[in-house]
Amino acid sequence: MAENPAMKKGTVTPISSLFPAEEAHKASKRVQDTIAEHQEQLDQLKGFMNENTNLINLVQKLPDELHHNIMVPFGKAAFFPGRLIHTNEFMVLLGVDHYVERTSKQTIDILKRRGKGLENQLESLKAVMQDLKAEASFFEATASDAVDGLVEIREDYAEESPSEVVPLANNTKAAIEDDEYARILSRIAELEQEEEAEKANEFNRDNQIENDLACNTIQSFTDQEVRSSKVEDAILQSPSKDGSSHGKGPALDDYSMKKKVLELPEVKEKVQAPVTADNKVSHPSSIPGSDSSNAFTGSIVEHAPDIGKNSREQQTGARSSKPVSRFKMQRK
Amino acid sequence: MNSELQEKVGRFEEFIDQRLKPDLVHAIAERDKVFEQQKIFSDLRRNIENLEKNCVTSLRTMVNLGSEVYMQADVPDTRHIFVDVGLGFHVEFTWPEALNFISEREEKLARQIEEYTQLIASIKAQIKMVHEGIRELLELPVQ
Repeated sequence: MAENPAMKKGTVTPISSLFPAEEAHKASKRVQDTIAEHQEQLDQLKGFMNENTNLINLVQKLPDELHHNIMVPFGKAAFFPGRLIHTNEFMVLLGVDHYVERTSKQTIDILKRRGKGLENQLESLKAVMQDLKAEASFFEATASDAVDGLVEIREDYAEESPSEVVPLANNTKAAIEDDEYARILSRIAELEQEEEAEKANEFNRDNQIENDLACNTIQSFTDQEVRSSKVEDAILQSPSKDGSSHGKGPALDDYSMKKKVLELPEVKEKVQAPVTADNKVSHPSSIPGSDSSNAFTGSIVEHAPDIGKNSREQQTGARSSKPVSRFKMQRK
Repeated sequence: MNSELQEKVGRFEEFIDQRLKPDLVHAIAERDKVFEQQKIFSDLRRNIENLEKNCVTSLRTMVNLGSEVYMQADVPDTRHIFVDVGLGFHVEFTWPEALNFISEREEKLARQIEEYTQLIASIKAQIKMVHEGIRELLELPVQ
């Protein structure tokens, strides 16, 4: 999947990656097999209906004569010459070893009712066949598309609602993007909560306000188009980089937030304004533009392990008082 | 070497599944048909013997008109039976003639069954042989 680095987010997917040609073929074959089975059943039903109609005609004609000269079968391989008698009396099987003696007219009624039942069955079977055929044709079309190398292109609206190109793909993709978006939002919310809580315990209010401002601006920009993958990278990268300095909890949060912020080109200038650097944290990674400030009032220069441990002791008291967030647990 | 082995084994198995097993199925189906015929004729013979024993000359029976709708039929004279002799012909027999014919027919059917049974046995033997061959091929490397 390639991403357009343009205004709109866009994805270009070859259809063959979504519906590989082979699988589409297999699926269409399976559907065709089911179609063949149903076709057989259909033919059988038609045979029954024909038989029924013939029988109705026969039963109609028999009472015309008193006797009919026939060959009476004797088992499967022998006949007797004989005659049909009592030509108006018929013994009809109702099922489960129950027979009824009926006259010709009554028998015809019975047979007509049976015919109606058969017709209903036939109709339902035909409907099923139609659906199956539609499925099969869809699979065929997808298979041929995949083979031809057709490509599905999706672009997002400004409101983050994914476009409708292929309904199936749309659902899964929309679900994935919504999930990511929701996750990002939830993480950002957690970060905010952590910072606010910790800062209330240990640091200046000013910094808290500044950070709140930073958070808010970031929040507002996450409401707009967010490059979800890049932001995720930021969140994931920061823990790995600063793994050694557990003590710099708030600093880390701030740093990660800053990184996010700084990668959103529109946000960069705005963020620099509210975040006046009281303290400097020099990180080994490259920070484009100004120094990032953090919430500490004290001056913590480098994430040396010793300092990390000291501040960790300070922090543990604060931490134990509140539930540990998922984000922090991940970093640990 | 191993891949060659696998290939051979695969081919043998394929042979079994595609040639021998369907052959077996066919042969069994044919034999079942002959069994059926045999049963039909033995039933007929028993019926005729019954008729003879009880000196039944006329008969009241129910005839299936199709779809299990029956109608009464009367056979005034049962002494003449038309028996199916194959190829779509029915020959008019008296009772002793009919019984004669039926016994000869039964012999013929029994011989056919015998043939089919032998065929089935040989196919089964072939399948077993190929199995053994596969097993040999696979066991040697193990040993």
